[in-house]
Amino acid sequence: MKKLSVFLMFFVFCLLLVVGCQRSEKSGGPAVALVMKTLNNPFFIDMEKGAKEVADSLGIQLISQAAEREVDVEKQMQIIENLIQRKVDAICVAPSGSREIVPAICKANRAGIPVLTIDTRVDKTTLKEAGCRVFTFIGSDNFEGGRIAGEFIVNKLEGRGKVALLEGIPGHETGDSRLSGFHKSVDDVAGIEIVASQTANWERDQGFNVFQNILQAHPEIQAVFACNDMMALGAVEAIAAAGKSGKIFVMGFDATTDAREAINNGTMIGSIAQNPYEMGRLAVINAFHLINKETIPDYIPVKIELVTK
Amino acid sequence: MNKNFKLEMRKICKIFPGVVALDNVDFELGEEVHILLGENGAGKSTLVKILSGAYQKTSGQIFLDGKEIEIKNPKHAQDLGISIIYQEFNLVPHLSVAENIFLGREPTLMPGVLNLKKLYNSAQKILDDLGVEINARSLVKDLGVAQQQMVEVAKALSLDARILIMDEPTSALTEQEIERLFATIRDLLKKGVSVIYISHRLEELFEIGDRVTILRDGKYIGTHRIDDISKPELIRMMVNRELKEQFPKKKAAIGDEILRLQNVEKDTVLHDINFSLYRGEILGIAGLLGSGRTELARAIFGAERIDSGNIFVKGKQVKITGPRSAINLDIGFLTEDRKCQGLILNLSVKENICLPSVDRFSKLGVVNRKKEVEAADFYINELRIKTPGMYQKVMYLSGGNQQKVIISKWLCTNVDVLIFDEPTRGIDVGSKVEIYELMNKLIAGGVAIIMISSELPEILGMSDRILVMHQGRIAGEFSAEEATQEKILHKALGGD
Amino acid sequence: MQQKDFLIHYGRQFGTLIGLLVLSAILWILTPYFLTVSNLLNIAQQTSINAIIAVGMTFVIITAGIDLSVGSILAFSGVVLAWAIQVGIPLPLALLIGLLVGLVCGLVNGLLITFGKLPPFISTLGMMSVARGAALLFTQGRPISGFSNTFRFLANGEILYIPTPIIIMIFVYFVAHYLLTHTKLGRYTYAMGGNEEAAVLSGVNVRMFKTIVYGLCGMLSGLAAIILTARLNSAQPIAGMMYELDAIAATVIGGTSLVGGEGTIVGTLIGALIMGVLRNGLNLLGVSSFVQQTVIGSVIIFAVLIDMALKKSKK
Repeated sequence: MKKLSVFLMFFVFCLLLVVGCQRSEKSGGPAVALVMKTLNNPFFIDMEKGAKEVADSLGIQLISQAAEREVDVEKQMQIIENLIQRKVDAICVAPSGSREIVPAICKANRAGIPVLTIDTRVDKTTLKEAGCRVFTFIGSDNFEGGRIAGEFIVNKLEGRGKVALLEGIPGHETGDSRLSGFHKSVDDVAGIEIVASQTANWERDQGFNVFQNILQAHPEIQAVFACNDMMALGAVEAIAAAGKSGKIFVMGFDATTDAREAINNGTMIGSIAQNPYEMGRLAVINAFHLINKETIPDYIPVKIELVTK
Repeated sequence: MNKNFKLEMRKICKIFPGVVALDNVDFELGEEVHILLGENGAGKSTLVKILSGAYQKTSGQIFLDGKEIEIKNPKHAQDLGISIIYQEFNLVPHLSVAENIFLGREPTLMPGVLNLKKLYNSAQKILDDLGVEINARSLVKDLGVAQQQMVEVAKALSLDARILIMDEPTSALTEQEIERLFATIRDLLKKGVSVIYISHRLEELFEIGDRVTILRDGKYIGTHRIDDISKPELIRMMVNRELKEQFPKKKAAIGDEILRLQNVEKDTVLHDINFSLYRGEILGIAGLLGSGRTELARAIFGAERIDSGNIFVKGKQVKITGPRSAINLDIGFLTEDRKCQGLILNLSVKENICLPSVDRFSKLGVVNRKKEVEAADFYINELRIKTPGMYQKVMYLSGGNQQKVIISKWLCTNVDVLIFDEPTRGIDVGSKVEIYELMNKLIAGGVAIIMISSELPEILGMSDRILVMHQGRIAGEFSAEEATQEKILHKALGGD
Repeated sequence: MQQKDFLIHYGRQFGTLIGLLVLSAILWILTPYFLTVSNLLNIAQQTSINAIIAVGMTFVIITAGIDLSVGSILAFSGVVLAWAIQVGIPLPLALLIGLLVGLVCGLVNGLLITFGKLPPFISTLGMMSVARGAALLFTQGRPISGFSNTFRFLANGEILYIPTPIIIMIFVYFVAHYLLTHTKLGRYTYAMGGNEEAAVLSGVNVRMFKTIVYGLCGMLSGLAAIILTARLNSAQPIAGMMYELDAIAATVIGGTSLVGGEGTIVGTLIGALIMGVLRNGLNLLGVSSFVQQTVIGSVIIFAVLIDMALKKSKK
C-alpha cells in the first residue's frame, strides 16, 4: 500500500508538472481553437506557427489541437466537442473528412461558437442538409493547383508520354480537387496517357510501395503526379530503388522543405507551394474579426505557386 | 553459541497478514542430513524459504558458523553457501545442462562473450564428480526427472553450496532413482555439504536421515535422532493424534458392473486391454512410469482417442468422444498433475468446484448462483476443505486441500466412476488419510474407483483388486488378499 | 466473511476507481469547465465507442487471447451497414446486417484460432488486413454518407436528457457483466483463460466457447460501427484505425491480465472512462497534442504498474 501511494503521488506530481507548464500562457483575451488533422506533417506545424504568431500579437489565447492520425475524424470530432465544453470563442478546423466533420460543426453552431474551415472544404450539400453553417473557407485553390501541375507536366513531356497518379485518401475534398484540376489540363492532350491512378493514402511509405508496384506493371512511365509531397517523396525513393533516378519526372504538391530539397537535387521536377503559415495566420485574424462581430468573406483564397528548380 | 553447528536458527517468527506461519521455531544443522517433517501448512516451506532468502523473517536470529547473519535475498543466500532445490525445478528447458548450471554466472572471454569451452568443461567436471552420466551439452528438456534433479544438485555444487535444502526430492522418482539420489546425498555429506531434507515419505526418512525436526502448525515440536524414534511416534508428533492405521480401508458391498473395457488398443501405448469395474470397489492399477497407466485413464475419460476396442458403461456400449461425453456418462478424472491439469489456479474454490457442473446449474445458459453457492458450501463442509472462504483462489490452498477441491468438483457432477491418478502425491500424512476415508465413503455410496498409484503400500492398502500394467498391457491381476509388494513388482517389471 | 469475500472479488476495482477519481479531482481543480453536467455527458458519449469495443476485448483477453482486428471489423461492418441503409433495406434489418457482419468476422477469427490452431495474434492480425481490405473494396475507397435522422438518433438523440450512445453503452455493460458473472459462457471464459487444459478435462467445450467469445467481440465492433456511422453521418472504410490499441489499453488499465483468467467488465468501464477523461481534460486544458500522447502512454504504464503492486501486496 505504501508503494502504491508513492506511485500515485509521483503520477499526480508529473501530471501537474506537465499541465502546469502548458498553462503558463494563460491570458485574458478571447480563446480561439485551431484544430488540425495531425501534427505528424510539417504542413500543419507551419500552420500552427502562423496562427501562434498572430494570436500572440492580437492578445488571443490560442488552443491548438490535433488528432494523432490524419484520417481519424472521430478523434477530431471529440476534440471539437471538448472545445465546445471549454467554451472557446471560435473554432478554426482543418477537417479530416469533409462530410464526417459536419455533425461536429453543427454542435458548435448550436453552442453559438463560430466555425471557420482551413485547408479542406466542408462538403456543401451535407452542410446544407444538416442546416449548419461555416463562416468561411481559408485555403488554397486546390483545383487551380492541380491544373498548374498538369500544365507543367504536359510542357515537360512536350505533349507526349505516359503518366501515373498517386491519389490521396478517396473522398477527401483536397485530393479530389487536385486530381480533377490535373485531369482538366491533361485529359485533352492527345499524346498524354494516364496509365495508372492509385491511392497511397497521403503517406510516404505507401507512396513508395504503391509506386514500386506501378513501376512493375508499367516500367515505361515517364512522369508521376502525387497529390501531396509525402507520396511524391515515396515515389522518388521507389524510382531510386529501381535504378531509374532522374529518368522519371516527379511532381508533388505542398512544397514542403523535403520536397524543395528534392527539387534542388533534381529528383523531383516541381511542386505546388501552398502557404500553410499564411493559412494559420489568416484563420486567426478572421476568427478575431468574427468575434468582434465584423463580417468576413465566405472564401479567403491563399495564394499558391509553382515551385521548380 | 554452540560452535558444533554449522547453522542455527533461534526463535524464528514469520507473520503474514492474518497468519502466524512460524512461531518461535528453533532449528540447528550440523554435518548431517537433517529431516524437516510436518504436515502441509506446518511451516516447513516457510522456514526453508527464510533460509534461502525468498522470505524475510519477522523476528529471531540466524547464525552461520557461530556468526549472526541476515539473509537479504536469494542471491545473498547463495553467496553464503545455502542452496535450495525446489519440488518444481528452476531449470530452463531449452538451454543445455551446462548453461543451466552456470545460468547468470557464465564464464566469459570478455564482457558479453561466452567462454563456451570453459562453460562445458567445468559443467562436465562437476557432473562427473557427482558420478552421474549426463552430457553437459544435452538440453534439459530431453532429460528425465531424475536427471534434471541431478542438474539441480550440480548447480548447487557449482555455487560451492555448504548447505543444500531439498524439498520433496523423491516425489517424482522411481525406486532405483531414489537409491541413486541417496547415494549422491551420502557422497555430498562426505564432501562437507550438510543437507536439509523435506519429505512426506516416512520410509525414506529412516533410510537417509540422521536427525529429524518436527513442526506442527508453525510451532517447533521437537528434534530427535532418527535411530531413537519410531514411525508411529513420528506420526503422532506430526498430527498430534494416533493414526491407527495408515490405510483405513473399509470394504463396501460390491455391486453391478459399471464399466467394461474390451480389447482396447491405442497405438504404441495400450494393447488388448480387458477388464471390468464394479460398483463399490477400488480397483488399484500399479505399474512403472510409462507402463500406460495414465494413458489408460485418459482413454477412459476421452482425453485421448482409442484406436479400436469397445467400452461399455452400465451395460451399454458407448463411444467416448471427449471429456464432455465421459462426464455425461458420470465418469470423473483426477489428474496426476493438479496444478497444470486439474485446477484453474486463479479462480476461486467455488468456481473450481462448480466448473464441470455449470451445465447442471444453468438454465438457458444462465447460472443459478444460489445453487452454486449451496453446492460449494456443502462440499467445503463435507470434505472439510480448509479455506478462508469459497471465494478464495485455489492457488492459496495447500496440496491436500487442492486435491479435495478437485474431488468435490467431481462429486458435484454425481459421478459413478472416479479415476484417481496418484491421489496422494505431495500430500501430507494427515490429509492422505482424509482422502482415503473419502474413498471409503464414496464406494460405500456405490461409486466405483480406479486408483492409479506409484506407491505400492497405497495400492496394497486401499484396493479391492489390483491390475498391474507393463508396456501398455495388463500383465497381472490380484485380489487384495493375494497381492504382495513382491508379486506386484515382479509383474510390473515384466516377469511372468 | 461476507465482506472479506467481497473485497477479494472487487478489491482490484477500487484501485482503478480511485485512479479515476484522483484524475477527475485534479482536472476539477485545474479547469472550471471539467465538472459540469454537459461535459460529463460529453465524456461518456465520447467514451462509448471505445468502451463498447473494449467489452469484447475484455472477454477475449480473459481467455488469454487478443483481437487486433476490431478496428477493421468496425470499418467493414460500418460500410456494409451504410450500404444496406442506402439501398433502402428497412433500418432494423440494416442494423442487424451490420451486427451480423461483425459477428461473422469474429466467428471466423474464432474458428481459425480453435480449429485452425492459429495463435490469436496471427489470425486476428490477418483479419485486421482482410476486413480493412474488404471495406475498401466494398466502397471503392469512398465513404458512404448521408443518413436519415431516425438512424442518426442512435448517436445524436437523447432519451430523458441522456444521449443515446450512453444508454447503449450502459445496456451493453449490464449485459456483459451479467454474461461474465452469471452465465455458463462467463464461467468458461475465465476457465479457458485460467487453465485451458484443466477446462478441457472438466468437460468444457473450449472450441465452441472460444469461437463464441471471438464472435461476440466481432459483434460488439459491429455495434460500435453503428454508433460511429450515425455519429459521423458517414461510414468510412478507413474508420477505426488503431482502435484495437485503445480497446486493449482500456481493458488493461481496467485490471484485466493479458495472461488471461482475470478481469472484470466494471474494471474495463473504468479503464475506458480514464482514457476518455484524460483526453477530454487535456483538450480542455489546451495541452499540445504531442504532450497528450506521452501522457496517455504514461497513464497506461502507471496503471499496470499500480495493478502489479496491488497484486503483490495482496499476496
